[in-house]
Amino acid sequence: MAHSTRPMTDWRKAKLPVFAFLAPATIIYTVFMIYPLLDSIRLSFYTSVSGGDLTFVGLDNYRTILGDPGWSATFWNAFWNNMKFFAVHMLVQNPIGIALAAVLSLPQLKLRNTYRTLIFMPTMLSVVVVGFIWQLILSPVWGVGPEILDIFGLKSLFGPWLGKEGSALITLALISVWQWVGIPMMLIYAALLAIPEDLVDAAVVDGASHFEVFLHIKLPLVLPTIAMVSILTFVSNFNAFDLIYSVKGALAGPNFSTDIMGTLFYRTFFGYQLQLGSPTLGATVASLMFIIILVGVLFYLFVVQRRLSRYQL
Amino acid sequence: MADLKLDQIRKSYGAVDVLHGVDLDVKDGEFVVFVGPSGCGKSTLLRIIAGLEDITGGDLMIDGDIVNTKSPRDRGIAMVFQSYALYPHMSVYKNMAFGLKLAKTNKAELDERVRNAAKILQLDALLDRRPAELSGGQRQRVAIGRAIVRQPKVFLFDEPLSNLDAALRVQTRIEIAKLHQKLKSTIIYVTHDQIEAMTLADKIVVLNAGNVEQVGSPMELYHHPKTRFVAGFIGSPAMNFTRVTITAVEPGRVTVQTPGGKSAVLPFEVTTDHIGTEVELGIRPEHMGLDRAGELGVDGEVEVVEKLGDSVYLYVRLANGDRVTLRAPGHCRIKIGEAVSARADAAAAHLFDRNGQAFAKLDCPEEYSAME
Repeated sequence: MAHSTRPMTDWRKAKLPVFAFLAPATIIYTVFMIYPLLDSIRLSFYTSVSGGDLTFVGLDNYRTILGDPGWSATFWNAFWNNMKFFAVHMLVQNPIGIALAAVLSLPQLKLRNTYRTLIFMPTMLSVVVVGFIWQLILSPVWGVGPEILDIFGLKSLFGPWLGKEGSALITLALISVWQWVGIPMMLIYAALLAIPEDLVDAAVVDGASHFEVFLHIKLPLVLPTIAMVSILTFVSNFNAFDLIYSVKGALAGPNFSTDIMGTLFYRTFFGYQLQLGSPTLGATVASLMFIIILVGVLFYLFVVQRRLSRYQL
Repeated sequence: MADLKLDQIRKSYGAVDVLHGVDLDVKDGEFVVFVGPSGCGKSTLLRIIAGLEDITGGDLMIDGDIVNTKSPRDRGIAMVFQSYALYPHMSVYKNMAFGLKLAKTNKAELDERVRNAAKILQLDALLDRRPAELSGGQRQRVAIGRAIVRQPKVFLFDEPLSNLDAALRVQTRIEIAKLHQKLKSTIIYVTHDQIEAMTLADKIVVLNAGNVEQVGSPMELYHHPKTRFVAGFIGSPAMNFTRVTITAVEPGRVTVQTPGGKSAVLPFEVTTDHIGTEVELGIRPEHMGLDRAGELGVDGEVEVVEKLGDSVYLYVRLANGDRVTLRAPGHCRIKIGEAVSARADAAAAHLFDRNGQAFAKLDCPEEYSAME
């Protein structure tokens, strides 16, 4: 075979266009994502001394946040609050999203698109607007909440939920659920639509009721999507800030009962009222948030996703 | 196992009528094939029997009970789908056990029934595999196994062989025939492939545009099609048709004039009011030959030659522009462009009136009327 007729890829010639096409994304991603991330991690190893100069202090900032009695109480309070915030989303938002998607995919349903649009609508609203509206609705002084409950004779159940330490965080989490439930619904609905109708027919002929079809056939087949929705929920919950800030301010009251990682970071970095801001301690909180999210995502990638098989439909 | 009765079954989707009153009796243990072109309503009819579609009008009876509003699970049916519809997240064993598990069958019986079905279908070694790890033919067998374990009164097959390659299709067809002999169950089978219909069925139901054209044994349909549609649909290559004019009628005899101007006497019972009307004459390609004797003849030029080994199909263009297909023996050396002259027995002819209804044929020799 002296003369191979098969065309060979000449990598020296191919290199230029390959890099030319990769460059824009690489440059933009590096400048706006990788560099700030690395720089803020770098910043967490310094402390500012008088005159604004930075001194390298190693892991001192981490020792302060996790070891100092005052700081660590605040940090762990925010961490556990954030876990509760996430738990409410996992226990309420995602099951409701799955249920809504299951109902939407029922063939007998009328006005399917109307429901879909209405449920998805709040996700398009600004978080600040949603927070403000709910604050008004739930206000014990002029809110419509008590009146609406009165229609059903349930006025006695009403309480100043946003103002009580025990219920404020749950209430805020439920407001967030109300706003975002359309996202898991849409993703799972799309996954349900991809299940061939023959499969459902076969299960019906095998004697399955609608619920059994869902439990034994549809649910196992959308599990990978549910896992993906869960990790998206985790990431967005641990990055959450705006709703708490718009309803409760950076102090995340009452008595820090609604303080989560985002609000803690904000107070630490910028300062608030009597607290002085510290960019280096703020960068430390941000780095800790990054580590928490990284651990969660790695757990998803290496434990959850490997056990879930996607089935060829 | 059970008998099945369809009484004036109608189906409409909104204003569109898909089935216009289908009557059918299926006896216990019978293998019935629904055949017809796409869109004729055969799959809809099967899904109605399965309970996957509502009935717009009429009654469906299984074993004497009206099951119109019963859910599929209460009808005692099992169905095999064209796409196999195996549950992708379940092993072969679980796929077959699913129906029994839902019916809360006890474990020992469930296991015995699944293993028994697996043995019949030679799936023993594959029970732990997922559908994705199986070949097309194996998936097909699992789908059939899933139906068998439920021991249904009626098996429903919806074009089960369409997704298999040609060789496997023939093999699976034989397996299904053997399975029917073994299980002696009532089977309703939908296909658009008339060879599947001819080879498998005890009884064929030819459907066209939501109507039953004819019900009968394969040979009955082949030799005595009641309508022009059935005549054209059953048999491959399709029957040749040409328009002829009736010139004279005697009891049991009809004289027609062919487009070529020749006259021929055919053994049909035709009433005198048909004299002078145009009717359609049909002859199957295999009943026409170059070296045959016969009252009917055509002359033309060969346009296409298809060599199949054992036989050769000649596509001939007649002087009046009509095209005729005929079968010649495999050693035939005729080439494209040659002039040929073919003949056929008058007894091989079929005659259809303007509405496509067949005229009754009389004193038919064995060759053109063999029945089981």
